[in-house]
Amino acid sequence: MAGFDEGVEGLVDYDESGVDLTLIRFALSMTPEERLRCMQDCVNSIEAIRAQNAGL
Amino acid sequence: MPGFDCLALLRSLAQNEVEFIVVGGVGEVLQGVPSITRGLDVVCRRDSANIQRTISAMHSLDARSRVGPLAGPNPSQLHPGPYRLTTEFGPLEIRDTIGRALGYEDLTSQTDEMQVGEFRVRVLRLEKLIALKEELGRDKDLAMLPTLRATLAEKRRLELK
Repeated sequence: MAGFDEGVEGLVDYDESGVDLTLIRFALSMTPEERLRCMQDCVNSIEAIRAQNAGL
Repeated sequence: MPGFDCLALLRSLAQNEVEFIVVGGVGEVLQGVPSITRGLDVVCRRDSANIQRTISAMHSLDARSRVGPLAGPNPSQLHPGPYRLTTEFGPLEIRDTIGRALGYEDLTSQTDEMQVGEFRVRVLRLEKLIALKEELGRDKDLAMLPTLRATLAEKRRLELK
């Protein structure tokens, strides 16, 4: 999996709508399967945190 | 609430040889949109053989409807969806159509076939995902449009390099 390409010369990091283009470049640097696994890891982490804080 | 294992859901559909197109949030993620989702939405081909394969996949996933009965009087006949299901691998929505009654056959020319693990899946193209959101125009769709459009612009920029 490739790393972030923040600060690439000649490229802006945000577009006029405020969208973080570095995140998009990061996602596009991965294969579709890697994108899915990355999203899955994120969902799993959020659910684990939710479970730890179920009473709140 | 069961967890969400998107790869396992896709694998089950593929192993049952269901003909489907990934749409919705997972489609966006596969196309490179940096977002997360907690459910898989697919449009399935609506012919009798594929309906039978879809039913087999639903059984293998221990699918249960979140909103009502799964089938009509004859359980071998799946009435038109959408089916909003809970499965052992998390939420799955099976649809006949999306947008203005666009079915599998209408959409196949606007898909990319992607390798995901050991199987290949058809994924709706980003251009069409954007067009559908523009058409629907709901707040949740409009909120995602800047990110989808920026992703498409980046993809095109990379293709030109």
